[in-house]
Amino acid sequence: MDLAPVESLGYFVPELILGVAVIGTILADLLVRRKEVLAVAALVAVVLSMLASVLMLADTPDTTLFNRMIVHDQFSLYFKIIFGLAAFATIWMSMDSREVDQVSQGEYYALLLASTLGMYFMATSTNLLMSYLALEFVSLTSYVLTGMLRNNRRSGEASLKYLIYGGVASGTMIYGMSWIFGLAGTMDYAGINEALTTSSPASSLALFIGVVLTLSGLGYKIAAVPFHMWAPDVYTGAPIPITAFLSVGSKAAGFALLLRFFYPALSSLGDDGQWQALGGAGWPQIILVLSMLSMTIGNLAALQQDNIKRLLAYSSVAHAGYMLMGLVVLSDEGLRSVLFYLVMYYMMNIGAFAIVMLVANATGREDFDSFRGLAWRGGALPAAAMAVFLFSLAGIPPFAGFIGKFYLFAAVIRAEMYTLALVGALNSVVSLYYYARIVRAMFLDEPDGSEETVSLDWSTGGLVAVLTVGTVVFGLYWTPVIGLADRSVRFFLG
Amino acid sequence: MLADQYLPVLIMLLVAGAIVTIMVNAGRLLGPRNRTETKLDTFECGNESSGSAWGRFSVKFYLTAILFIVFDVEVVFMYPWALVFRDLGWFAMSSMSIFIGVLALGLVYEWRKGALEWE
Repeated sequence: MDLAPVESLGYFVPELILGVAVIGTILADLLVRRKEVLAVAALVAVVLSMLASVLMLADTPDTTLFNRMIVHDQFSLYFKIIFGLAAFATIWMSMDSREVDQVSQGEYYALLLASTLGMYFMATSTNLLMSYLALEFVSLTSYVLTGMLRNNRRSGEASLKYLIYGGVASGTMIYGMSWIFGLAGTMDYAGINEALTTSSPASSLALFIGVVLTLSGLGYKIAAVPFHMWAPDVYTGAPIPITAFLSVGSKAAGFALLLRFFYPALSSLGDDGQWQALGGAGWPQIILVLSMLSMTIGNLAALQQDNIKRLLAYSSVAHAGYMLMGLVVLSDEGLRSVLFYLVMYYMMNIGAFAIVMLVANATGREDFDSFRGLAWRGGALPAAAMAVFLFSLAGIPPFAGFIGKFYLFAAVIRAEMYTLALVGALNSVVSLYYYARIVRAMFLDEPDGSEETVSLDWSTGGLVAVLTVGTVVFGLYWTPVIGLADRSVRFFLG
Repeated sequence: MLADQYLPVLIMLLVAGAIVTIMVNAGRLLGPRNRTETKLDTFECGNESSGSAWGRFSVKFYLTAILFIVFDVEVVFMYPWALVFRDLGWFAMSSMSIFIGVLALGLVYEWRKGALEWE
C-alpha cells in the first residue's frame, strides 16, 4: 500500500501523540507552577505512544506513508517500542536525578520527547533525505540535552564536542548520500534497490565511496570505532539520565537506520533467508572490520578508565561492535539477533546507569572511589543489582546479556566466520575484567569511612527492581522476545 | 562508462580553476596600484570608520538573530504555499494554520520566558 498524507494519519498515531506532547509540555511549562507535573505528563505521553505502537503490532498491513517518505511495518514498530521504553526509563530517572533538578523542566522534557520522536523517524524513513533529516533531528536535540547543565563546564564542553563531531559526521554522510543518489537517480530506498539490481558493475567504485561516506554518519550515531571519539566525553559530561538515553535510545536508532539502509536498500533477500549485497560495493567487509575494531578498542580503552560513566561509554562502544557482528553475516538470523540484543542491552545498560545515578545523587561523584565498599555503606541492594547488570553486560549466564550474545555468536558461527567469533569471544573475556573490577570495589573493598552512605529510595528502587528482574528473567525465559524479534525482521519497501 | 559521464564535470572544474587563477593574477599584474589612507581603510558604507573591528559585542544580538531566522524561514515556506493555495483549498489552509500556530506558540514561549527582553 501507498498512502497520501491525510490517509497516513491513521498509521501515524504514536508519532502524533509524541508531537502533541512536545508542544503540550512547552505550553504547560508556561501555565503550571508545579514543575513536577511536566515529568509526569511526559511519562504519560510516552506510555500512550508505546501503547499505540503495541496495538498496531497485531494486524495492521504494511504500508508507506506520506508519499513514500516513511514506512509502517513490523520492523519500525519493534524499534518504536524500544525507543518508548528507553524514553520511559530516562524520564523516570530524570525525576529522581539531582542534576536534572537544576535545569529548566519544560525545555528538558520537551527536548527529550522531541528526541524520541526523531528516533521514531529514524526507524521509519525509507528515503535518503528523510533519513538524514531524522538523524539530524535526533542529533540537534541530543546536543542541547547534553549541554543542559549550564553551570557545569564538562557538560558544556561535551555539548560543543558533540556538536562539532556530529556536524562533520552528518556532513560527510549527506555527501555520501549524494553519490548514491547520483548512481540510482532516486532517493527512495525501493528505487535505489531497483537501480542497483539492474545497474552495471562499472559503478561499484562510486557506490563503495558513497556507502563508506554514508557509513560515517551512521557509525557516529551508534558510536562504532573509528567514529566513537565523541562518546567518552559526551557520556561523561551529559546528565546521567541523558547518558543512559544516548547509550540505548540513540544507539538503537542508529542501528534501525543502519539496518534499513543496508538491508532493504542495498541488498536483496533470497528464499533461504540469506541476503546478497548489491552492486559489488563490498560493504559487509567494511562492517566486519568496524565490528572487530569497535569491540577491541572499546574494551581495551575501558580497562584504563577511572570514571564509571566513561568506562560505560567505552563498554557501549564495544557493545556496538558485538551488535555489528549480526550485520556481517547477511542473514535474517543475524538481524534477528541484533534486534533481540538491543532489548537485552536496554535493560542491563539503563540499569547500570540508574545505579550510577543513585551513587552520584548521594556522593556527587561518578568515579571509581565513589563505588568503593558500596555494599557496606547502606547500598547492599543497589550493589547487588549493579553486579547483576555488570555480569550481564559481560555476558555471563544466566543473565539476559548471555542469551543476547549467544544468539549473535550462533549466527556468526552458522555463517562459518570463525575469526570474527573468536575475536568476539576474546573480547568478552577482556570485558569481564573491568566489569568485575567495579563489582570487586563494591563488595570486597572496605569503605574507609569518608564516603557518604547510599540508600535506595522507592522511586529509583522500583525502576532498578524492574530492570533487575528483567535481566534475570530474560536470561532464563526469553522465548516471547526472540519470537517478537523474529517476526520484526520484516522490511516493507512498497 | 563512468569516465564518459563525469568527463564534463572534470572539464568544468579545470575551466573554473583556470578562470579564477587568470583573473586574480591579471588584476595584480595589469592594475595600477595607488595606496592612499582612505583606500586602505575599512569600508563602512561611506562613514568615517571608528574603533577596532575586533570590538566585543553582546551575545544578545545572536539570540535576536536566531529568533528572526525562524520567521524568515517561515516566509520561505509561505511562498510556494501561496502559489497553490487556490487549488488545494481547505487542506492547504489547515496545514499552514497548524504550522504557523506551532511557530506562534514558540514566540509566546520566548516572550513569556523573557528572551525578548534586552536587559
